[in-house]
Amino acid sequence: MAGMRTVAAATSLVFTLGLVCFVRPGFAQRPDSAGQRPDSSLSAEALKKLSIEQLMNLQVTSVSKRPERLSQTASAIQVITQEDIRRSGAASLAEALRLAANLQVAQIDSRQWAISARGFNGTTANKLLVLIDGRTVYTPLFSGVFWDVQEVPLQDIDRIEVISGPGATLWGANAVNGVINVITKDAKDTQGFLLSGGGGTEQHGFGAVRYGAPLGSSVRARIYGRGFDRDATTLPSGRDAADDWHLEQGGFRMDWDASSASRVTLQGDLYDGRIAQDSGGDIGVSGGNVMAKWSRTLSERSSLAAHLYYDRTHRDIPGVFGEDLDTYDVDLQHSARLGARHDVVWGLGYRNINDRTVIGSDSTLAFLPLQLGYRNINDRTVIGSDSTLAFLPLHVAREWFTAFVQDEIALVPNRVHVTVGTKIEHNDYTGFEIQPSGRVSWRPGSSGTLWMAVSRALRTPSRIDRELFAPAKPPYFLAGGPDFQSEEELAYELGYRYQHGTLGLSVATFYSRYHGLRSVEQVNPPAPVPIVIANGQDGESYGAEVTAEYWLTNRWRVHAGYTELRVHIWRNPGSTDASGGATESQIPDRQFFLLSSVDLPAHLGLSAWFRAIDDINNQLVPAYAELNATLTWQPTSHLDLSLVGQNLLHDRHREFGSPPASPTAPDPRRDIQRGVYGTVAWHF
Amino acid sequence: MALLRLTTALLLVCAARLGAQTGKASEAQVKAVFLFNFAQFVDWPPEAVPDSQAPLVIGILGGDPFGDFLDATVRGERRGARPFVVQRYQRVEDITRCDILFISRSVADQPEDILTRLKNRPILTVSDADRFAERGGMIRFVTDRSRIRLQINPVAAEAAHLTISSKLLRVAEVITPTGR
Repeated sequence: MAGMRTVAAATSLVFTLGLVCFVRPGFAQRPDSAGQRPDSSLSAEALKKLSIEQLMNLQVTSVSKRPERLSQTASAIQVITQEDIRRSGAASLAEALRLAANLQVAQIDSRQWAISARGFNGTTANKLLVLIDGRTVYTPLFSGVFWDVQEVPLQDIDRIEVISGPGATLWGANAVNGVINVITKDAKDTQGFLLSGGGGTEQHGFGAVRYGAPLGSSVRARIYGRGFDRDATTLPSGRDAADDWHLEQGGFRMDWDASSASRVTLQGDLYDGRIAQDSGGDIGVSGGNVMAKWSRTLSERSSLAAHLYYDRTHRDIPGVFGEDLDTYDVDLQHSARLGARHDVVWGLGYRNINDRTVIGSDSTLAFLPLQLGYRNINDRTVIGSDSTLAFLPLHVAREWFTAFVQDEIALVPNRVHVTVGTKIEHNDYTGFEIQPSGRVSWRPGSSGTLWMAVSRALRTPSRIDRELFAPAKPPYFLAGGPDFQSEEELAYELGYRYQHGTLGLSVATFYSRYHGLRSVEQVNPPAPVPIVIANGQDGESYGAEVTAEYWLTNRWRVHAGYTELRVHIWRNPGSTDASGGATESQIPDRQFFLLSSVDLPAHLGLSAWFRAIDDINNQLVPAYAELNATLTWQPTSHLDLSLVGQNLLHDRHREFGSPPASPTAPDPRRDIQRGVYGTVAWHF
Repeated sequence: MALLRLTTALLLVCAARLGAQTGKASEAQVKAVFLFNFAQFVDWPPEAVPDSQAPLVIGILGGDPFGDFLDATVRGERRGARPFVVQRYQRVEDITRCDILFISRSVADQPEDILTRLKNRPILTVSDADRFAERGGMIRFVTDRSRIRLQINPVAAEAAHLTISSKLLRVAEVITPTGR
């Protein structure tokens, strides 16, 4: 029972490991870089093939803005649009991220997700940067994301930009293997009332109210409130895992066109939720954020943007762990066109966190083998039954300073562009760190772009790497990671994008070499304990991400993605790590999805979304295939109805999770069940 | 499939996920293609269509921002049996038979005057003038962060006995002049 509780707690806690880093909120589509590039215009014929929605999404050239179109971006970027999300029937932000072929997404239980890019996935995946409107949402505990509290209302999302590969130069230290940038709609796009609600088998019930209105002639605002209740997953035995949960949330956004050249945005959210566990009390989560953004076009060649935000999160896992985290962040960015060929962007950032943790009363360390891969010591009798864990010191304040500069040079304007830049960061753990990158893009014609990049990216230490101790008092069996340094990546990428008429194609290939990956080391080998966290492993990854989109007819679109991926991790000389890298990367070797969306007569729409995911061999999770289907009906422009079937092919399937560490330990794995839900949305 | 093909002109479907990946175009070009596309999403009253072969006229009132791009866009195109024709007008009085009218910024400072004189004629009025939809116009192009959005005033369209497809309304911002 204590064991059961432990592992349940451990599963939760898996989430609690980590690191922070820091990052520059930003935007793949760089805001308003100055200057205007000569255009190679599309023909009338090409434009006429586009749908109304495509036309509306087309970036057009206008004064003082230089559009950065994705087909010319020298990185592996994909975009999930609002329409994709609606058509997919996704019920949460994490689920919607499955629409990006360049992400590995696995649902762990009713609320937890393992999400990463380019491998290195795990419950505490730590090499991905996630931003919501420029606000960093990962925890400095372990550099990962508590996905259960990132429940952005899906109908308020404008688009999600997903970049795989290092984005550290522009984005910051956690962008080792990718950046997810969630961008919500402008307040002027959410005017009037929206009432929506629904329910079903796994999505028990949900409802939302949104109201948008002008506040004066140049200010538009919206407020929203929502709540949902989600069903539990099941244990491998088929028994209910009792991890059902609910969350209530509200927020606002206000956009003010202060003048023709300057804009101000204020936004914020508050949330509160409770998550049941099959043993132990409910997990409580709550938090909020408030953010101000300002941007100004200084001239046709130059613009300035700044933001300031405060974010607070609270999490309480009874008996295990509690945390209150305050984050303050300020960021400034200036872009300017210099001469005829240089587009320069530079910026400064500062972040401050105040993290207060609490030691749980009787948690044990059974989760450690799961987390840290030290399989030799998964017998709790070795650990001692009264052990607890602690982040020591319990209370820390940390600061990050960053500066970055990037220059895009038009060697042959509109054909060959070279981008060089670097980020310089100072953190309290490792001091100054430098993350440079170089990119080249070549556009041989109007339809395709060939690009390549070489980048250095770092995952700087998080609290879990340096400050996790167990038990909470000496003698420690796990004594932190006093010497843990940044993990380093050198990435080489080569990609091609093609867009012509109704066909879009993208291929990105990569090879990355990693130095100093996290390991667990015996302090006095061969004595199994004590252990510390160190940088005893190296690794490499390589693979290819392919996506294609095609309009079979003007009403029928298919969108497919395929990824091949390999990660190898090995122990360096002198290391006593016994995990073989199994705890740092848990991924399928390949994955595939196909989304087919058809508009039918009578305002009906039908979408089928199939995915096939290979096995995760170091977790013994078998390969699986699943299907979502969505039927939508919009009888009038004011009413949207939809019926969604999720994971239709099996009663239940497993996406992630290792077998129990010992035969007597409870099984931490959870199975995801088939679900059906319906939604009604009324706009007026 | 056959049914789907028949409705080829209805360019609606799914998301323009490609959005940012599609080709590059000038604002004027994209607006010209919008004007052409509007013909597929609007139904005119029977009295506005003299016969099934009558040309579908896209008019430009005031300075022409499109160059020859609008002409190139509609060249050889038909709506049903109706060929497209582009007409240019300097004054409202010049407008004879017209189905879609783009009111250029050069004359749209006071769109109320123009709209009053067009009142109740079954002409789809389009402009990029400020607050055009609030001031009684039917469709306004709004350029917002390098993308073109639509504002539609369905009340104005109904007053002229035009029916705008819900598919177009769905992707547009609906403007009701009286409030909100």
